[in-house]
Amino acid sequence: MMWRIRRKKDKKKKQSALKQSKQEQDPLYTHITENENQFRQIYEDCSDVILHPFSIGGKHQALLIYIDGLSNTEEIDDSVLSPLMTATVNDGEQQVSTLIKNTVAVSDTKEVHTFSDCIQAISTGKPVILADNSQTGFSLGLSKWEKRSVESPEAEKVVRGPREGFVETLTVNTSMLRRKIRSPKLKMQSMEIGRYTKTNVMITYVDGLVDKTLVEEVLNRLNRIDIDGVLESGVIEEFIEDDPHSPFPQTLATERPDIVTSNLLDGRVAILIDGTPFSLIVPTTLYSLLQAGEDYYRRYLMATAIRWLRYLFLVISLLLPSLYVAVLTYHQEMLPTSLLISMAAAREQIPFPALVEVLMMEITFEALREAGVRLPNQVGSAVSIVGALVIGEAAVSAGIVSAPMVIVVAITGIASFTIPRYSAATAIRMLRFPMILLAGTLGLLGIMLGIIMIVVHLATLRSFGVPYLSPMAPMQFNEMKDTLVRAPWWKLNKRPRLTGESNKYRQSSGQKPSPIRGKE
Amino acid sequence: MKRLFKPEKRLLTIVLCCIPIFLSGCWDRTEVNDLAIIAGVGLDRTDNGKIELSVQITNPKAIGGPGMSSGSGQSGQQPVIVKTGTGKTIYDARSKLQEKTSRQLFEGHNRVIIIGKSLAETGIRKHIDFFARFPIPRLRANVFFTDGKATDILKVIPSFENGESAEAARELAELKIGMNVTTKDLLQQLASSSGDTALPKITASKSKLGEGLKVNGTAIFKNNKLTGQIDDKVTRGLLWLTDAIETASVTIQPKDAEGYISFKILRSSTELIPTIKNGKWKMIVRITTEDDVTENETKLDMMDPKIVEKLEKQMEKSIDKRIQLVLDEVQTGMEADVFGFGEAFERTYPQKWKQQEDQWDKKFPEIEVVIKSDVKIRRPGRSGGPQGVPQEKEKKK
Repeated sequence: MMWRIRRKKDKKKKQSALKQSKQEQDPLYTHITENENQFRQIYEDCSDVILHPFSIGGKHQALLIYIDGLSNTEEIDDSVLSPLMTATVNDGEQQVSTLIKNTVAVSDTKEVHTFSDCIQAISTGKPVILADNSQTGFSLGLSKWEKRSVESPEAEKVVRGPREGFVETLTVNTSMLRRKIRSPKLKMQSMEIGRYTKTNVMITYVDGLVDKTLVEEVLNRLNRIDIDGVLESGVIEEFIEDDPHSPFPQTLATERPDIVTSNLLDGRVAILIDGTPFSLIVPTTLYSLLQAGEDYYRRYLMATAIRWLRYLFLVISLLLPSLYVAVLTYHQEMLPTSLLISMAAAREQIPFPALVEVLMMEITFEALREAGVRLPNQVGSAVSIVGALVIGEAAVSAGIVSAPMVIVVAITGIASFTIPRYSAATAIRMLRFPMILLAGTLGLLGIMLGIIMIVVHLATLRSFGVPYLSPMAPMQFNEMKDTLVRAPWWKLNKRPRLTGESNKYRQSSGQKPSPIRGKE
Repeated sequence: MKRLFKPEKRLLTIVLCCIPIFLSGCWDRTEVNDLAIIAGVGLDRTDNGKIELSVQITNPKAIGGPGMSSGSGQSGQQPVIVKTGTGKTIYDARSKLQEKTSRQLFEGHNRVIIIGKSLAETGIRKHIDFFARFPIPRLRANVFFTDGKATDILKVIPSFENGESAEAARELAELKIGMNVTTKDLLQQLASSSGDTALPKITASKSKLGEGLKVNGTAIFKNNKLTGQIDDKVTRGLLWLTDAIETASVTIQPKDAEGYISFKILRSSTELIPTIKNGKWKMIVRITTEDDVTENETKLDMMDPKIVEKLEKQMEKSIDKRIQLVLDEVQTGMEADVFGFGEAFERTYPQKWKQQEDQWDKKFPEIEVVIKSDVKIRRPGRSGGPQGVPQEKEKKK
């Protein structure tokens, strides 16, 4: 019952929100004073909004509205106000709107007709000019605000590869993409999400490579979102996922323009959101979450080796602590004899069972990691030293945990950081704990049970209709070239089948270089 | 069904499904510190016919726990603890032993089984069953015979291997200087029709420097009972014959030179070829071996093919002699078929074997054995001719 009531209330709220916006949808008034009054009412108590009445050529009453700090004031003075105020007006010959159009020296000038148009323009930093006796206003593209300069992405560092990362400003981000894909086929559809934040969201794809239905689906899912505000891509992510309860991320969040570009070229769709450097790429698969952008810039042999290393450490980061528990408490015969004896020797003084020991250490490690992320830089190093000492040396010599346990925790910790996508790494890290519990209760059987459950879940998972485990399940033998190994670039001729079906080949075949080529 | 999966109840359903997993609790969980890790087992027979089971339990404290520098161990701690229990069967004795042990006995890492003389004389087949049936012990454990009480071997504290005599015994077997028999091998041999088998003999050696173990000789079992023992030298012949030789050195004195020449075996294979002609059972033993020269005391030039050919001939004779030694002692002396002759005949002549199976015990000592060895000297070693000898004084043939 409670549910129903709440739903009804929600509906009412929605309607009132609609009403308010309906009022704003009204067209502009003819008289400048009416307009001015209306705007003063809308921007009541907004001291940063500047309404500047002036006269064009000393004859026509006009009003300039902009938000302080969002627009380029110098430009407004030089190319808008001074030409307009000094313009000579022939009586009644010219319409005011034509006059403004001809006098204002701003390239991005658009007509606005309603209050909501005006408000939208003003809030994005575009000054609006309204003139008396005219129902048309003009928005001028003179927005300028403080923005962070382009820096190397913090969360995804590379040794070889571009050092630029997205910033919080959407226009900067789209310009970076545009600079990478210099083709009119690169499409960017804009959209506003958030009742109050009115965040600009850009849906980007390459026309001709992308499946049109995918774009439609993305637009559909984004259109359904009705929330107060979008502060980060994570908010959007939770609204468009296929399985909202899964621990695995079903979108690829990245702040690297080169990764976005390569995915766009594979026929995927990127969602860029104003106010965050993280963009979302859909659809995504488990394997793309395990691939770093650098894989494609390194020599392919190394890239393959490192990919295998990553797969190995993925398993380690998920299973090593639980294997430790299972083998040490249920299957002692599985260890080599001398290893078991030294383990037994190390555990001789330990007061806790292996399960408790592992849980204790893993939770401590997670806490340490979490603290390290949040801490200011100056304290960070101090904490990591204390943490290393406490977890490593002191705990062992105090006889609280065994030395092999510390090794297990350390390797697991390192292993979880080899996964290039942070969101995937956290999923694995979280799943470790149920695995430890299963290992502690059912031994290796429990671990198998856990693995089966995870695999079943992964197999049912889809990201925008694409199976999460593809190309492994369903098996696409051809795509193993870019999954199990990283084949040399001149062999990666086909796009991934499930996203790049509409345009199969990304390059012409037979491009293997050799000194003989081209000499014939 | 529909109601069960209402969204608000889904979580509850999942939780309910997960709870039974934890109902079992930590069922047969045993922490390592609650285990008595058995490294070796000794079997003896008491005077009143009971089984005496001795176990060698590793003492982890002696190896070194937290806070100690690795490998040092606590001084004054015995590296192993030997405990003994008696009972009607091995498992019975084990239960008695468990009563006296505060930790759970754990045979999962048992590496050696040592059979004492008293038990060996009454037959070993029925006792080995425990090691095949009880799921925890490994089938790869090495089996030894000792000419005294098995307990005494377990009590030896050798200088190497952290003072574990069981580990030392296993390492000795792995070197393959003597026989190397695992529980699995023993079970297979006992299951053969004759039930004849051989086990390496292990003895404790004491000197001023400390205690140690050595594998010297072999115990021969006829129909799973101890019938005799052969010494180290004869054992080598047995190894040649059973194709178990891996590391061996052969030293000969060339006829026409002073001093000895030593050879190291690189590869060797032995083939048993049984033939039955006119009702006469005959066994041809074909041995092919490749050797390297490792030491040359003589002045012979090892690069000379003629000399090498002569040496090969001489080595063949030396190998034949070794094998004849074991045939004399075991085939005709103890009449125990530890060479697998019976199996070889059974494989080649299944019909005739079936007719003669009952009389195999009588037939075995009478079988004529022909040894055909083929030695190839592959390399003269790092040096060619004799070292430290002027070129002109080298003996050329």
